[in-house]
Amino acid sequence: MSRALMMHPKDNVATVLEDIAPEQNLEIEGNEETSTITATEAIPFGHKIALRKIRSNAKVLKYGEVIGTATKEIPVGSHVHVHNIKSTRG
Amino acid sequence: MARKKTTPTFWGYRRPEGPPGGRNHLAIVSGMDNSNPIVRRIGGLVRDATPVNTSFGRALMGEDEAQHWRVMGHTAAHPNVGAVIIVSLEPKSANAIAEVAGRTSPWMPIEAVNIQEIGGTLSTTSHVVELATKLSAHLASAKRVRCELGELTIGAECGGSDTTSGVISNPVTGMVADRVVEAGGSVIFSETLEIVGAEHLLARRAADRKTARRIIDSARRAVDYAESIGVDFIGSNPAPDNIRGGLSSIEEKSLGAIKKAGSHPIVEVVGVGERPSKKGTIFADAPCAGVENISSLASSGAQAIVFSTGIGNPIGHPISPTIKVTGNPRTARTMAENIDVDISGVMEGTMRIDEARDLLEKELIDVMSGKLTTSELLGETELTVSRAALSL
Repeated sequence: MSRALMMHPKDNVATVLEDIAPEQNLEIEGNEETSTITATEAIPFGHKIALRKIRSNAKVLKYGEVIGTATKEIPVGSHVHVHNIKSTRG
Repeated sequence: MARKKTTPTFWGYRRPEGPPGGRNHLAIVSGMDNSNPIVRRIGGLVRDATPVNTSFGRALMGEDEAQHWRVMGHTAAHPNVGAVIIVSLEPKSANAIAEVAGRTSPWMPIEAVNIQEIGGTLSTTSHVVELATKLSAHLASAKRVRCELGELTIGAECGGSDTTSGVISNPVTGMVADRVVEAGGSVIFSETLEIVGAEHLLARRAADRKTARRIIDSARRAVDYAESIGVDFIGSNPAPDNIRGGLSSIEEKSLGAIKKAGSHPIVEVVGVGERPSKKGTIFADAPCAGVENISSLASSGAQAIVFSTGIGNPIGHPISPTIKVTGNPRTARTMAENIDVDISGVMEGTMRIDEARDLLEKELIDVMSGKLTTSELLGETELTVSRAALSL
């Protein structure tokens, strides 16, 4: 199965380790137990997938830290990138 | 997660005082650029002599001159050096570097030689060969003894970064850094421009307020300098190629870089080539460029450097063995002779992240016990001193 790496237990995104097609299932690694998730859209290698629903204006967490805030609601399994999150540094 | 019952040990050279060495170099250290040719020549004439060249050194003023002497003096007095000959054009610089070295490692046999007083290339070469031969005989009887992981200070550097650096090789480097710190040792990381964007998060990890302020100040100084030369650093990061690679914000980019330093509190901030006064996780306010950075880390006392790379970089430090680790399968294949630890299996699903950490830790122990790194084997080593006139 394709894989994604979760960097910290608090994270709501994981990094995909290969190009992902819509409806593809992924194994999420890095937590104590591995889980699976289904991508809702294409996600290129090295980009991020939402592990749960992220509400608009909610914090996006990677490495257990805030990497930005959601500019719109991000459904679970979607591609998380500059089109739906923005830096907190302005 | 189950923790190992015993902390690993390495076979190093015990010094009369200070941390042990993983090498016992007879270092021939150049005081300034014009002395490099003689220093290089000694490396070819005396078995086991390690030439250490430099950049600049002549006609420096104020803090620039002090920084040059500090970096060269601390490099000469490095724990991996058993004896040193400093060769410079004139007596002032040779003696100043020898003075820094003597203060740092009072036990070390140190010779200072200057070309003007001895008189020319041939006489100086002959004189240094004679000195080096005697010192080499003195070093030949040294024996390795068992040393503790906690006696180590490692440097953490990332260069030629890509997506795999942020998610594989930097985090794995950080896990090994954590183990060294937990054993009582230190990790030094730097690259000031790479903390920009996450300096507010890094400052929260500072052990005290003064350290937090120095972290913020280091980042601000770098951003202000960039602005003064017309570069909007925060606005231009992540760069378009970073965004294509999947980085969505400057925080994300910087957090990936910072991962190489592990997760412990930051106890101290030092300047270029300064020796820390504390043990633990240390931030060095030093430039990002690979050779400048490893030169600063080694001068600050790193007995070995873990160099995390994505797309690859062959370089290492002449005195502090530099361990190249990559999580990029292509780099591991195409630059195999420049890679010491291949953890690209994590990318391909054949290696777990904790297995990668154990592999890197074992390599660190082996290298400190005498195993040569790829950059040592190939002679891909270099040193350069950052200019105090703001090199970023």
